[in-house]
Amino acid sequence: MNILLVEDNEGDIELTQHAFKRGGLVSQLAIAHDGVEAIDYLSRRGAFSDAVEPDLILLDLNMPRMGGRQFLEIVKQDEKLKCIPVIVLTSSDAPKDIRECYERQANCYILKPFDLQKFMVMVKQVEDFWINVVQLPHQAVATR
Amino acid sequence: MVAASIVKNASSESGGITAISGISSNILIVDDRKENLIATEKVLKNLDSTIFKAGSGNEALSLMLRHRFAVILLDVQMPEMDGFETAALMQDHESMRGVPIIFVTAISKEEKYATQAAAIGAVDYIFKPINPEILRSKVKVYIDLYRQHEQILQLNKTLSQSNEELERFAYICSHDMQEPVRMMNSYADILNEEYRQFLDARAQKYLEFIKGNASHLQKMIFDILTFSRVGREEPRTEHIDCNQMVREVLEEFKPVIERKQAHIACDPLPGLEGCPTLMHVLFQNLIGNALKFQDGSRQPTISIQVEFANGEWTFSVQDNGIGIDPAFNDRVFAIFQRIHRKEDYPGTGIGLSTCKKFVEFYGGKIWFQSAPGKGSIFFFTILDHTRVAS
Repeated sequence: MNILLVEDNEGDIELTQHAFKRGGLVSQLAIAHDGVEAIDYLSRRGAFSDAVEPDLILLDLNMPRMGGRQFLEIVKQDEKLKCIPVIVLTSSDAPKDIRECYERQANCYILKPFDLQKFMVMVKQVEDFWINVVQLPHQAVATR
Repeated sequence: MVAASIVKNASSESGGITAISGISSNILIVDDRKENLIATEKVLKNLDSTIFKAGSGNEALSLMLRHRFAVILLDVQMPEMDGFETAALMQDHESMRGVPIIFVTAISKEEKYATQAAAIGAVDYIFKPINPEILRSKVKVYIDLYRQHEQILQLNKTLSQSNEELERFAYICSHDMQEPVRMMNSYADILNEEYRQFLDARAQKYLEFIKGNASHLQKMIFDILTFSRVGREEPRTEHIDCNQMVREVLEEFKPVIERKQAHIACDPLPGLEGCPTLMHVLFQNLIGNALKFQDGSRQPTISIQVEFANGEWTFSVQDNGIGIDPAFNDRVFAIFQRIHRKEDYPGTGIGLSTCKKFVEFYGGKIWFQSAPGKGSIFFFTILDHTRVAS
């Protein structure tokens, strides 16, 4: 399982890497620091020429240059990329943010838990659900 | 050519426009006779308004397209377009409609003319020769009304501006502030769990301080958000089972209730049409306070009761806690007001102010009775129209 984490906060990046390392089911966790970098990664542009297409994208909302909403708009209108599930992972519980993400075809919206324990449990659940429970369009994505 | 014949008073002549309330106002005098214009202008000179003069109905309309007027004095008998025709045209125009018109006439003194004037929007119908004192005081009424109206418009504008700012602030709270606080808390946890063997007792104590304060800050951000959201969202009501609601709140407080061995007695509560968030905030804060403000000298006893009268439910939450010193009565519902030291009774000082703002937003009231050392009763009312109807 390959995951692309789009997140600008170094603290959150470290924390998420830490949590996925514990789970051990994710083979690669790539990092993009904002929407622009993430689009570059997905298009294998610049420094990302040998990027692996992710099975799953974890997306923060408020980031410099290009935030989560705009990233969703681009990815979900792209024939090649729209199949990749995007999980919004954010500190914001504002109803407006939640609605706007689903309107832009986010696959789910998760509030980052305040407690470390709960954060670890959340990552474990994400891992378990998206790796063990659901079927992903690996074939379709891989053959293009 | 019309515009060229317009004589506008210099503002110095009309005497300090901004003198009274800082809101300028314009008066329009319409008369085909120049001597009348000058005479009326003289009468209205000291009303802190700018006076515009028009010699015909056409000139008047042209001026009205370019300026806003507090009141118009309109001569009835004029060549080409008389006062009635001018007024009728003004009524057809969106931006001119609603400006008060005082008709002034020398000959059409019969009742039927006054009636006709009223039908096309006149607020008054006065006869020449005019009594200067009466005219002045009548015009002054409309100028005052205009200024008050303008003031309200300005206030509304300021209000909606600060509402927008508040909304932005609430959003910053919900995202930008929550994130760093969560980071502090998480990394304090990581140090505590994974690096514990490297930390001596003092370092561990400091970590607890970081964690404790991060938790407190997170609670404050959450409470400020709840407070600021009240009134920004559309009022929303649905059927609420209050018994169920209280059961849920008691479940949240289960650890405290068990630790303090609190006894809770609750009347059978009604089902009602209300806002679920409101009811939850009220029960959560009032029951939470009843449990919190206890000094441990006796078993906490809390009683929840309800009565129905005059279309509203009055709920009460009574405790046998420390009570409230009457000296603090007016601070109880004020935001960020804490009556006790945080170390003794932790809290953010936002809970009861949110209750008050919320309950009043839905047309209810909240108040309390208290005896220091004996306990407090908090009351709140919830309107219920459905019950009156059924």
